[in-house]
Amino acid sequence: MTGLARSRSAPSGSPGSGALIRLVAAREVSTRLRDKTFLISSAVMLLIILGVLVFQVVLGSGSDERRIGVTGGSAALGPALEAQGDVLGLDVTVVDLADDDAARTAVETEDVDAAVLDGTGPDPELVVRESDSTLEALVSGAVSSLALGRVLAEAGVAPGDLPQVTVTALDQTSAADQQRTVVAIVGVVLLYSLIILFGQFVAQGVVEEKSSRVVELLLATVRPWQLLAGKIFGLGALGLAQIALIAVIGVGGALAFDVVDVPGDLIGTVGWVLFWYLLGYALFASLFAVAASLVSRQEDLASVVTPASLVLFVGFFIAIQAATNPSGTLAVVTSFVPGLSPMVMPVRQAAGEVAAWEVGLAVVLMLVATALVVRLGGRVYSGALLRTSGRTKIREALRAGRA
Amino acid sequence: MLEFDGLHKSYGDHHVLEGVGFTVAPGSMFGFCGANGAGKTTTMRIAMGLARPDAGEVRWRGRPLDEEGRRRIGYMPEERGLYPKMRVGEQLTYFARLHGLDAAAAARAAEEWAGRLGLGERRRSRVEELSLGNQQRVQLAAALVSRPEVLILDEPFSGLDPVGVDALAEALLEQCRGGVPVVFSSHQLDLVERLCDSVGILARGRMVASGTVEELRRREAGRLLRVVAPDAAPGWAGAVPGVRVVSERAGDTLLELTDGADDQAVLAAALRTGRVTHFAWREATLVELFREVVADPAQRPAREEVAA
Repeated sequence: MTGLARSRSAPSGSPGSGALIRLVAAREVSTRLRDKTFLISSAVMLLIILGVLVFQVVLGSGSDERRIGVTGGSAALGPALEAQGDVLGLDVTVVDLADDDAARTAVETEDVDAAVLDGTGPDPELVVRESDSTLEALVSGAVSSLALGRVLAEAGVAPGDLPQVTVTALDQTSAADQQRTVVAIVGVVLLYSLIILFGQFVAQGVVEEKSSRVVELLLATVRPWQLLAGKIFGLGALGLAQIALIAVIGVGGALAFDVVDVPGDLIGTVGWVLFWYLLGYALFASLFAVAASLVSRQEDLASVVTPASLVLFVGFFIAIQAATNPSGTLAVVTSFVPGLSPMVMPVRQAAGEVAAWEVGLAVVLMLVATALVVRLGGRVYSGALLRTSGRTKIREALRAGRA
Repeated sequence: MLEFDGLHKSYGDHHVLEGVGFTVAPGSMFGFCGANGAGKTTTMRIAMGLARPDAGEVRWRGRPLDEEGRRRIGYMPEERGLYPKMRVGEQLTYFARLHGLDAAAAARAAEEWAGRLGLGERRRSRVEELSLGNQQRVQLAAALVSRPEVLILDEPFSGLDPVGVDALAEALLEQCRGGVPVVFSSHQLDLVERLCDSVGILARGRMVASGTVEELRRREAGRLLRVVAPDAAPGWAGAVPGVRVVSERAGDTLLELTDGADDQAVLAAALRTGRVTHFAWREATLVELFREVVADPAQRPAREEVAA
């Protein structure tokens, strides 16, 4: 009896909001970390990123290296082939071969990609395993430039006297821009999928608590907004960890395998994608949670979260479109619209078309929208949470939340 | 003292509570009875802050219950609620922590209560894998795990087998002995009669009767006298002063005596008719009391006045 009395005084300190929110958040995280669906989907996403990287590396290494065999000495033809390779962006290695038979064997055994027979003679021949237009152009260019040089020399004309084309690039940074845009698109695809995924988690969690009626027990100790905040923070942290992990692996891999040329730009773009993920998640997770609080069964969930998902999808669609036309009216306007901006703005930023004030304005608009959703939505959420029969109308929930 | 004071609540035009009030002393068990829809659940939800009363308040130790106070209440809602995919032990720990226990104390309390309610071996099972009866035990453990100062349980016995009922009853009595006021609602009136120090009967949003079972008996049916006189002619007792015939069938008569009426005069009248095989004050069961006070006022206007 005394033991009972003593132990009853245990909960002396009442947990504050922070502690309660942390408890709720920790439960969300630990539940998800043990959820097979979540683990598998995360693994798949990582595998896709790794796959894209490996694909890039293989593609890159496969395309820009060629071994070309040459018979009868490579003194003259070798440098010409390498020079042509430079022009075409190929890394050419010249291999000396003894005679025609040796050349054919080398091609067949894949020791070389192609062999040039009698390259400097009157009847040159290119042996390849299968037709390769790049190689053909390279070799014929090299052979004809050698021949041309010889003919010119015989005619007493110096090659330098021929007109040379001077190249003037108007857009000096186009290659870097393109690379950043590609990164931004990959980032937006990730951002879109993760917001959808974690928004769904939030929504499902809300409905689960309603349908299992556990919410009644929870609300006896936790306020609705604390429950909502804990849920959104917990899953948000998990989502951020996931997108950050993907970013680190993606950026690290890209740098290690030399897929990109300008690391600074890449990291900047990835940083912005992470930043916009946070803003987008905050808004959409709140929207999804509020929508989900209106229904009591998982079956009804789709119907209430569709409007928010649709906005998200439209933003995604415009963002992909904006990648090709980042300064178009549609892209510019939507990059300020809260809900669309998290996907459109990072693409515009990657294309380098945005002034700092524009980004600032979009961020502020987004924050204002999120604050509104949290404020109004929080009221709907607390009003609807205890109505576990059927579907609650927003207006009823608002009234109940205010009362 | 846990005081429910003048609670009013309506949903639209539907008045659910019209001035419900009762008091539960520390260490006593209060049985809350009433027909379906009488307002028991609403009353308890108001105490837990899950519904807002239009008027009235619930006080614990003289102070209106606020969030802080509610954290010291163990609550079992009518609509049971647990996370279906969470393991029993983790779930109990989680609820203990929400009530303010630190991690170590919460884990200890979860283990202790799982053991005491016979769930020791199922601590690592998911709730959805348990039988309904065991889920009910988890629900009760969730109410007790935070070492509450007050227990409010909505239909805690429904769905339990007799062994489960005994285990739960024992747990509640122990809490009571430890000084915790316990309020529970139930339709199992025999159970209420056995366990509770006091009883409240709710009908149409009002407390129509409250007090100890003894008090209710005295007040509601203490003056009911059953006389069996096989040879008596119908209407034999009608002439005795202060006596009203409640029912009469083949010599088996139920009489209601007013306060001043003399039971010996009734006995004498009965003996005058011949043999008397049964003469006794009748102990009403709680079920009868319940029927009596809950009966529709349109049919029993006099009773309603007495009860209210």
